[in-house]
Amino acid sequence: MDGLKFVGQRVPKKDAPLKATGDAVYIQDLKVPGMLHGKILYSKYPHARIVKIDTAKALALPGVKAVLTGADVPNNFKFGFLKDNPPLKSGKVLSTRDEIAAVAAVSLEIAEEALDLIEVEYEELPGIFDPLTAMKEGSALIHEELKSNVLKLPWKFVHGDVEAAKKESAFIAEDTFSTQWVTHCCLGTSGCVATFDASNNLTVYSNTQIPSLAQNDFLEALKTFGLKKKRVRVIQAVIGGGFGSKLDTYAYEYIAILLALKTRKPVKIVFSREEEFLATSPRQCTITKISQGCDKDGRLTFREMEMVLDNGAYTSWGATTPSVMMVPISSLYKVPNIKYTAKCVYTNNTYCQAFRGYGNPQATFAIESCLDQLAEKAGIDPHEIRRINANEPGELTPQNFKITSCGMKDCIEEVVKRLDWKGKRGKADGRGVGMASLIHVGGAARVYKSDGCGTIIKVDDNGKVDVITGSSEIGQGSDTIIAQIVAEVLGVGVDDINIINNDTDVCPWDVGAHASRTTFVAGNSALGAAEKIRDQIMEIAAKTLGEPVEALEMKDGIIFSKNDKEKNIPFGKVLRKAHYSLGGRMLVAENFYDPPNENFDQTFRGNLSVTYAYGAHGVEVEVDKETGQVKILNYIAAHDVGKAINPMLLEGQIYGGGLQGIGYALGERMIYDKGYLKNGNFLDYKMPTVRDVPPVQAVIVESDEHAGPFGAKGIGEPGLVPTAPAIANAIYDAVGVRIKDLPITPEKILKALKEKAKQNG
Amino acid sequence: MKGYEYHKPQTVKEAIDLMEGLENAKYIAGGTDVMVLIRQKKLAPARLISLRNIGDLNYMETEGGLRIGSAVTYNTIAKNDFVQRRYSALADAVKKVGSLQIRNVATMGGNICNAAPSADTACPLLVLDASVIIAGKTGEREMSLDDFFLGPNKVALEKGEILKGFTMPAFGENTGSAYFKHTRRQAMDLPMLGVAARVTIDIGGSEVGCKDAFCTVDSISNILKRLEDENLVCEDVRIAMGVVAPRPIRARKAEEALKGKVISEKLFEEIGEIAASESQPRDSIRGEAWYRRDMVKVLTKRAILKAVDRVIRPDDTIWPDRLW
Ligand SMILES: Cc1cc2nc3c(=O)[nH]c(=O)nc-3n(C[C@H](O)[C@H](O)[C@H](O)COP(=O)(O)OP(=O)(O)OC[C@H]3O[C@@H](n4cnc5c(N)ncnc54)[C@H](O)[C@@H]3O)c2cc1C
Repeated sequence: MDGLKFVGQRVPKKDAPLKATGDAVYIQDLKVPGMLHGKILYSKYPHARIVKIDTAKALALPGVKAVLTGADVPNNFKFGFLKDNPPLKSGKVLSTRDEIAAVAAVSLEIAEEALDLIEVEYEELPGIFDPLTAMKEGSALIHEELKSNVLKLPWKFVHGDVEAAKKESAFIAEDTFSTQWVTHCCLGTSGCVATFDASNNLTVYSNTQIPSLAQNDFLEALKTFGLKKKRVRVIQAVIGGGFGSKLDTYAYEYIAILLALKTRKPVKIVFSREEEFLATSPRQCTITKISQGCDKDGRLTFREMEMVLDNGAYTSWGATTPSVMMVPISSLYKVPNIKYTAKCVYTNNTYCQAFRGYGNPQATFAIESCLDQLAEKAGIDPHEIRRINANEPGELTPQNFKITSCGMKDCIEEVVKRLDWKGKRGKADGRGVGMASLIHVGGAARVYKSDGCGTIIKVDDNGKVDVITGSSEIGQGSDTIIAQIVAEVLGVGVDDINIINNDTDVCPWDVGAHASRTTFVAGNSALGAAEKIRDQIMEIAAKTLGEPVEALEMKDGIIFSKNDKEKNIPFGKVLRKAHYSLGGRMLVAENFYDPPNENFDQTFRGNLSVTYAYGAHGVEVEVDKETGQVKILNYIAAHDVGKAINPMLLEGQIYGGGLQGIGYALGERMIYDKGYLKNGNFLDYKMPTVRDVPPVQAVIVESDEHAGPFGAKGIGEPGLVPTAPAIANAIYDAVGVRIKDLPITPEKILKALKEKAKQNG
Repeated sequence: MKGYEYHKPQTVKEAIDLMEGLENAKYIAGGTDVMVLIRQKKLAPARLISLRNIGDLNYMETEGGLRIGSAVTYNTIAKNDFVQRRYSALADAVKKVGSLQIRNVATMGGNICNAAPSADTACPLLVLDASVIIAGKTGEREMSLDDFFLGPNKVALEKGEILKGFTMPAFGENTGSAYFKHTRRQAMDLPMLGVAARVTIDIGGSEVGCKDAFCTVDSISNILKRLEDENLVCEDVRIAMGVVAPRPIRARKAEEALKGKVISEKLFEEIGEIAASESQPRDSIRGEAWYRRDMVKVLTKRAILKAVDRVIRPDDTIWPDRLW
C-alpha cells in the first residue's frame, strides 16, 4: 500500500507524555468529593464454615461508616459466568480469597484498622486443592448444591476419526504436560470508585477492560438489589495494564457498590499489591494428555488432547478458555483428525480468569513440545515437520475456520534464517535451538453475542477531530492506532485527533479489550466512520470549489483538485462553511462495525474470527549443566500481522508478550500450598526484570489481510503463545532433557540431567 | 501505616542521645529494610532516627586496608576502582544488590545490622576478615564480623549502639576474592544461595601473572592446567556461605582442607563437596534444600576458581566474565 502518510509509521504513543510526566490519572490518583475508603476482609482458611462474625467493634471505631458481611448482600446476589460467586460470602468460605466482610471509613488507615477489629469464628473444613482429586467419584463437593465438582460445560470437539488415524500413523508421540498459575502483574493494581446520585443512578470509576459488559453486570446487580430501571455509567480511569485481569467484574466492585449504597457516599476500593496477587484471578493451570501422529513423510495424521483445568472455587469468564484453546488444537498445522475434551474442575484454590492468549499458551505448550517429540521419532528436523504441515491461505480447518491471509511459512523461515538453525541445531553441547509456531484469532473472536465496536466522529470548526470510540486503551496503544487510521483517511495530523474512550455515557458499545481484537474491530469501526465524514466533507468541498468529488483529494488539512491545485480549500474552512451557512450543519458520523465472524455451533464449529494471526518463535539457549540455569542467547519472534499500522507499538506488543512468555516458561508461578498463596509479592513471584531481557528480534511479516483496517490483524496476545514450547524445545536440543511441567526451573533441569546421567551410566 | 517522628541528627552522639530511653525508636539508614517492615506491620516505631546525614558514618579510606563507613551507599562502593580490584568479592556483591534505585540509597551498615541470612554483603565481608566498629554512649569498640552475627536478624549491638563502619586488612597482589550470588532473576532478587571465597596463593616471589595471548580468551580451568607444573600453593583461604544456615557462616572444614595444598580444579571440586557438607540449607518456597546443597558445591568451586583467576589475571575487569 503506497502513499500512506500515517499508517505504517512509528508514531509515538499519544498518551506517552501523560504517563512520562506522571499526569495520567490512574484509579489510584482519583478523588471524588466526599469519598470514603473501602477495605475487604478475606477468609483466613481455604475451606471453612463461618460460625460467627462480630462487626460491633469495627463499627464502633470512629471514622467507620459501614461494615458489611454476607448477610448484607440483598436477594442472594451472585455474579460471574455461572453466577456462583457472592460478592460477600456467608455460611461457607471456599478459598483464601473469599471476601467475608468489608468496611467503609473516612480514611484508608481507619478502614484497615477496622478490619482488624472484625471477629470471625471459623470451623475449618478439609479442602480439596487438586483437580484430579476433586474429580474422583465420591469426592466432597465444593459447592454442596451441585452434583459434581466438574463444571457443566460442554468442552468437546471431534473431527474425523482419531482411532482409525492412530492405526494408520507411522509414528505417534504421546505425553502429559502441565502448566502453572501465573498472574498478570499489572503495575496499576485493580480498583474502583462507586457512587450513587440522589435517584440511585450509579457511576463506577473503574479500570475495567470491558466497560460495556461491566455496565451490564452492574445493571443486573442493581436489579437484584431492588433498584430497577436505574442507569449505570462506567468511567475508566487511565488503566495501568490489563492482560485479561480486568476482563470480568470482581467482587470488590460489587462491594464498593454495596458500601456506596449503604453510606450514600462515593466509596473507593483500590487493591494493595498483596491483594492484587491474592484477589485477582490468574491463568488457569492445566494438565494435558496429548497424542499426535504422522505418516512416514511427517504429515500429521491426528491430534488427541484431554485436559483438566483447575477452575478454583468460583467461575468467571476464564472457564471458557477451552473454547480458545480449541483454536490451536483444531487448527495449528493441517491435522485431519482431532479429538479434544476439557474439564474445568472446582477446587478450594483461587479461581481463574482470562490472561493474554486465553488458554492458547497452555494448549500450544503441549502441542509444540509434543510435535518435537514426534519429529524425533520420525527422524525429521523439527523445522521440517513444521514446514510440511504449516497452514496456508485458503484452508478450511476442522473447526471451519476460513484461513484467509497466512504468513506462517514465512514466519518459520524467518526464524530458521535468523537463528542459523541448520548451523546451531543438534550439537547437544549445552547450547541449543528450538522453535514453536502459533495460530490465534487475528480478526476478533465472537465469544459474545456481538463482537462489535461503535465509533462516532465529529469535527469542529477548526478542523479538529474528536473520535469517540467504544474501545478501551489499556496501555496497548489503541488510541494511537485509531488516530493514525482516522488521520490517514481525513488527511489531517495525528495530533489533530482527540480520542475519547472512557465513558459509557458518551462512547458507543464495544465488547471489550480482548482477543487481540481492538486494532481490527475498533480500527475497522473508526475507518468506516472516518470515511463517512470524509464523504460529507468532500461533498461540501466539491460544491464550494465547483469540482466533482472524484477530482478532489485531501492532504495536510487541505482539500484540492487533482486537476488544478490552485483550486483548494482548507479542511477547517469547509467545516465552517457547513456550520455557518443557512440551514447549517455540524459534521458527525457514526459507524458500528460488527465483524462477519461466527459464534461456535453445538459442535464447536464456526468461523470464530474473520482472520487468523500466525507466528513462529525461535530461541537459542545455553544451559549450565552444573546449575540447571538457562540463558537465552538469542530470541526471534516472527509474526504475521497483516499490516503493521504502527511498527513501534507492534514491536512493543511482541517484546512485551515475549517477555511475559519467558517469565511463564522459566520462572513465574504462584505457589499455592493447600490453598494458601505463599508468594504474593514481587520478591518471591519471579516476574522477569529489565535485566532479564534477552536479545529479542521482533520480525514483522506482512500478509496484507483484506478484511483488516489497511490490512492489519491482531497482535495483542500472540507474542507469548509459543514462547514456552520454543524454550523447552531449545533446552532439549541443548542438553537432551525435556521439561514437561512449567515453569522450567533450574531444579527441574538439574534433576532431569541427573536422572539422565544415571540411566546412561 | 501509623505516623512516626523523623529525626535527622548530624553526629553520632546526637543520634545516640535521640535513642536514649525510647523503647520504640529505630535507626534508619537507607530505609530499604526498615520501610518494608513498617509496611508489613512487623515494625511500628514511634521515632525514626536517620543516620544519613552523619558525616562520621560516611567515610571510605583505602590506605593500609579498607575502611568503609556504615552509611556509605552501595553505589558509592560499587564505583570505587580500588574495591573492585583488591576487594573484588565485595564489589561483586554490592553491584548485585536489588536494583540501581535500591543501591542509590541502601547501605552496607543496614545490610549487616538487619542480619538476614541472605544479606549479600555478609559473605564477602566474612572472607575479607572484616571487623566492625561500634559506637556507643561510652565510646567505641571493635569486634570481628563473625562474632557480630548472633543469629537471624540478630547482631551484637547493645541498645542505642550504632554500627560505625567496617575495617578490612590489606591484601597483597597474590590475593583474589569473589562472590557468587545464585538467583532466579538478574536483578531485584535475594540470593537463593551465596558463596564468597578469598584465596592467597604462594607465588614464591615469582610473577605468576599469565601473560600469553591465550590468557585473554581461555577459561581459568585451562589456564590452571597449563600452570600445573608451577605447583602453586594455597597459602590462605576463606570461604563463606549465605542462606545455608540461620546466619551467614564460614565453611571452616573446607578452608582447612584447601590451606597449604597445591591448587587444582579437581581439588576445588573436593572443597566444594566439603563446604556442601558443612551447609544446612532448608526447603523453602525460595528453593529446595537438595538444590541449594548442590549449588554450594558448584558455587564454592566457581568462587575459588574466580578468586584464583583474579590473582592470575588481575585485569579481569577488562575482560568479560568467562565463568558464566
Ligand atoms: C527492592 C529491594 C531489593 C533488595 N535487594 C537486596 C539484595 O539483593 N540483597 C540484599 O542483601 N538485600 C537486599 N535488600 C534489602 C536491603 O536493601 C539491604 O539489606 C540494605 O543493605 C539495607 O540497608 P539500608 O541502609 O536500607 O537499611 P535500613 O533499612 O535503613 O536499616 C536496616 C536495619 O539496620 C539498622 N541500621 C542501619 N544502619 C545502622 C547503623 N549504622 N547502626 C545500627 N543499626 C543500623 C536499622 O535500624 C534496621 O534495623 C533489598 C531491599 C529491597 C526493598
